[in-house]
Amino acid sequence: MIRSTSPVAELGVRAATPPALMVGMFLFFAGHNRPGGGFAAGLIIGAVVALRWMVGLRTTVVPSQLMAAGIVIVAGVALAPVLFGSVVLDQAVWSTSLPVLGKVKAGSAAIFDIGVSAIVVGLVIAVIDGLSPATTSAPEGQSS
Amino acid sequence: MTTLVPLLVVGPLLAAALALAARSLGRLRDAITLITLFGVALGALILVLSVNRSGPVVVRLGGWHPELGIVLVADLFAALVLLSATATVLAVEVFSIGQRKTVWAASPDLVGPLLLVLTGGVSLAFLTGDLFTLFVAFELILVSSYVLLTHQGRSGQVRSGMSYVVMNLFASTLFLFGLAFVYASTGTVNMALLSERVPELSSGTQLGLGLWFFVVFGTKAAAFPLFSWLPDSYPTAPTTITAVFAGLLTKVGVYSLIRFHTLTRMDELGPIVLIVAGATMLVGVLGALAQNDVKRILSFHIISQIGYMLMGLGLFTVAGVAGAVLFLVHHIPTKTLLFLVGGMIEDEYGTSDLDKAGGLAARRPILGLLFAIPAMSLAGLPPFSGFVAKLSLIRAGIEAQSTLIVIVALVVSALTLLSMVKIWLGVFWGVDPRDEPTELSSPQARMLMTSATGAAIVGTLLVAVLAGPLWDMSLAAAESLLDPSGYATEVLR
Repeated sequence: MIRSTSPVAELGVRAATPPALMVGMFLFFAGHNRPGGGFAAGLIIGAVVALRWMVGLRTTVVPSQLMAAGIVIVAGVALAPVLFGSVVLDQAVWSTSLPVLGKVKAGSAAIFDIGVSAIVVGLVIAVIDGLSPATTSAPEGQSS
Repeated sequence: MTTLVPLLVVGPLLAAALALAARSLGRLRDAITLITLFGVALGALILVLSVNRSGPVVVRLGGWHPELGIVLVADLFAALVLLSATATVLAVEVFSIGQRKTVWAASPDLVGPLLLVLTGGVSLAFLTGDLFTLFVAFELILVSSYVLLTHQGRSGQVRSGMSYVVMNLFASTLFLFGLAFVYASTGTVNMALLSERVPELSSGTQLGLGLWFFVVFGTKAAAFPLFSWLPDSYPTAPTTITAVFAGLLTKVGVYSLIRFHTLTRMDELGPIVLIVAGATMLVGVLGALAQNDVKRILSFHIISQIGYMLMGLGLFTVAGVAGAVLFLVHHIPTKTLLFLVGGMIEDEYGTSDLDKAGGLAARRPILGLLFAIPAMSLAGLPPFSGFVAKLSLIRAGIEAQSTLIVIVALVVSALTLLSMVKIWLGVFWGVDPRDEPTELSSPQARMLMTSATGAAIVGTLLVAVLAGPLWDMSLAAAESLLDPSGYATEVLR
């Protein structure tokens, strides 16, 4: 832990957080047609969480609940087409014209990706939680 | 049917999320887990009946053509093994609810959700129609198994968990390389397309791919010589976890081996597979004979049994592959059961060391019966399921005139029986080495564990009773495996 000794590190991480999240967001939306996607975005956001943890900025998110929510979203999007008489994992695409952005296309795959990101971020937080000295219990004696 | 097949994969994963969210509400979590596992087993049964009547079910996820997208294929082989596997997981979950009252219990709020993730991964591995999804399924299984193996954090578990993780990551890395090779040489990872394109490659490339994946899946299946991670890590986990691993994990490797090598017509590899099969059988059983601990003996047996399945594949005849399919179906529940009984022995004595146990037959005759039936079945004594499976393998071996492997298989059978007798002598006969037996678990917990094991034993007896129709199905499965053009037309249509 470097929290108590280095305000510079903390300030640096605080300042780096918004741009890093922007990169994550960019990857998330780029992933539809180019390299990127929910998984890569989740890793970036997870890295941000890990960095913030290093300088003592903890999150209060319960990782298991975040992962559970992610899986529910993913499974829900995967199974939803069945209700409309289509095959599993089929997707719907809506496109519309907006004033500034021009033609905008949105697919239900984006919701799927949100779920993927949630699972990845949840996993990263769970790993950090597991490694953190506050929650790690001493190993039990000599049992094997 | 086109909804049921993906549901068998997505259902357990969705339920895992719900069980994870409800993990502090014990009853709700258990209800979600049990109902889902029951539903998945029931779904697998329906799938077997449907596939047997009206042919394989092919589902194109998202409606994409197999050239571009992912397909799930439920043929007879996949459906049969899936039924065997899911029914086994269900029995283990009931057992683990009973075991919770004992000191051996795995942490319940983790086991429920992770067992479901594992089940989802196993379903995906059996049902997937392309190699990359198979890789994803392997990772899904491995990630949940890493946690299940080491979550209690005892020093022995973490140490042997390391070798498990390293060995499996090594195999996964090789798998990824193999995927790159396959894609580079054929331009696809879809298994139906591979079955058409791999035989067109030059014979050197074919052999290279076949050997590469033999190493990958062989490591996952704990075949000789890459088996030592298994008996090292399995016995350290809590009983229920070991039981699931013993029944399912290596068998996913064997399943993939049979699937890949028959689809791509790797007949040339037959002799090599047979040599590995013989060595696996022998090393496994000799290892078992040298051990002095119930769980370790049983762990070594897993290895020797893997040899039998490889033998069926190595013959590359319809009878041989059918024998391997039947052996797989019989082995999953039987092996799991033996570990469950091993867990109950441990619960009785506080250890599974043979020297510190004895005289159990007099005190718990039912436990003796529960051990004897799967033990004799595993050794291959009639009239149990193991006899049917082994007989069909031996006959296939004789038909194919592979005398040496038949002799090895018979000798190993006898040695298997010998090591089972060793457990029997050590645990059930003789006198109890303790002055006064202490009760480690409540009668209620024992009751639940005994009935779960008993119900599962009835299941394995059913395998023997239904041997006729099961053999017919195995034959049909083997025929379509060895003639992959039917599979390819079905998928690509």
